[in-house]
Amino acid sequence: MSTRTLTRHNRWDIFIHWFNAVLWLFLTATGLALIDNPEVNPLGQWWPGLWRGIFGGGGNLLVAHEAAGVAWVLGFALYLAANRRGAGFFLREVFQVSPSRDIPWLLKKPVQMTLGEAGLRRLGLDPILPPQGFYNMGQKAFAQAAVAGGVGLALSGAAMMASHLVPGPGAHALVSWAILAHYLCAALVFAGLLVHVYMAAVAREERPGLFSMFTGTVPEDYARHHHRLWFEEVAGGEARRN
Amino acid sequence: MKTQLAMLVDSAKCIDCKACMLSCKVANAVPEGAWRNWIKPGSVQGRLHFQPGGCMHCENPTCVQACPTGATYKDPADGTVKIDRSLCIGCGNCIPACPYGARYRHPELKVADKCDFCAGRRAQGLQPACVDTCPTKARVFGDIADPGSEAGRLYRENQGRLVRVANARTDTKPNMFYLAATAPLDWPVEARMPSAMGLMAGATPLLRGLVGLTGLGVLAMLGRQLASGSTPDAEERKEDAHVD
Repeated sequence: MSTRTLTRHNRWDIFIHWFNAVLWLFLTATGLALIDNPEVNPLGQWWPGLWRGIFGGGGNLLVAHEAAGVAWVLGFALYLAANRRGAGFFLREVFQVSPSRDIPWLLKKPVQMTLGEAGLRRLGLDPILPPQGFYNMGQKAFAQAAVAGGVGLALSGAAMMASHLVPGPGAHALVSWAILAHYLCAALVFAGLLVHVYMAAVAREERPGLFSMFTGTVPEDYARHHHRLWFEEVAGGEARRN
Repeated sequence: MKTQLAMLVDSAKCIDCKACMLSCKVANAVPEGAWRNWIKPGSVQGRLHFQPGGCMHCENPTCVQACPTGATYKDPADGTVKIDRSLCIGCGNCIPACPYGARYRHPELKVADKCDFCAGRRAQGLQPACVDTCPTKARVFGDIADPGSEAGRLYRENQGRLVRVANARTDTKPNMFYLAATAPLDWPVEARMPSAMGLMAGATPLLRGLVGLTGLGVLAMLGRQLASGSTPDAEERKEDAHVD
């Protein structure tokens, strides 16, 4: 077996991934702590109490959340400006879905991960998963949710921060609906994030994928097993010749 | 009984001069087009009657229930309903949630605003502006739990004759007490929770369920990983088998 590596992420991709990870977690934690009403508080009173204690009051917490939100948007603006081609590649790969390959993959993979191949056979399914491209369908689904949710969070956040530019009673209606949109987007992405973190950091088989978010490269074997179509595209011809 | 700042109003004394409204506006820099207090005309026993009012610092404030961030809260120390401007995000949910229309959105500060019983003046040892300025002394302000205060004395001596102006469907138990007959009585509206806030409240258990189910899925995967003897190599071989 070859120990050659393939380049998967450039420096900008690695930067935006960890930048997003840190700010997203901070924004989720502080955003949840800004909800302090028993009707809509998903975690209970202790969470806002804890964070307001750390920041010395809800007002400071709001300022910190808004500042981090602006920094988050600016970070993405920088990424898009500096790495247009990389961002374009990411979006194309993420939103290109092949239903005949990707739907069976998405249905089988969770069964494989929880019940194993025996589970797939017991359900009368072929235990072989369809080959995947640069991203597998699970990664694509999470990335789609993260992109859509991220755009929704940025837009609704901007609407809340700039509501004074809207004249009349439309301003508070806008903010009221923006809060709901902000909340739904964050919850959607957060649910996906749990699976994303498990697959990357805990699941054994995706371990090289986690390392590639530091080094930018993956071993050829990993690429062949997990991203067959991509592997064939970048190294396939060569590999077959060897 | 714990401290409860409140207002006792002898509306029969009100002559509709509107000095309370003006002094409030000046003392609190209330923006153009907005008012923190009011005088409503009515009729008692066929005679013209005027009823001064403002935020009633209710016992059961529906505005507090409508606030997502806790910026509007009932201060246990003095019983007033307060707005933390630094935490208010200007969603305006509290505005229709008040049966008295006591709240408005400050156009420049983009926060909710209303009567705070002149917190700034009280810190300097002064009465609220409306109380101070009233020429007939129709408004009396103070801690109704303190028997030594004028408000406490009026509150105690008029038990059984105090009128709370409230909507029957959303009785927020206002801390604005009218002495004996007052009018009008039928003007407070039913408190209304804005649709976005209602949907957010409805969505919360669903989202908790969604995130919880996802978490269970992750736990199931973890359980398999910990329990199964299969090595990563074995997994890879299987994938290998089909691709080659």
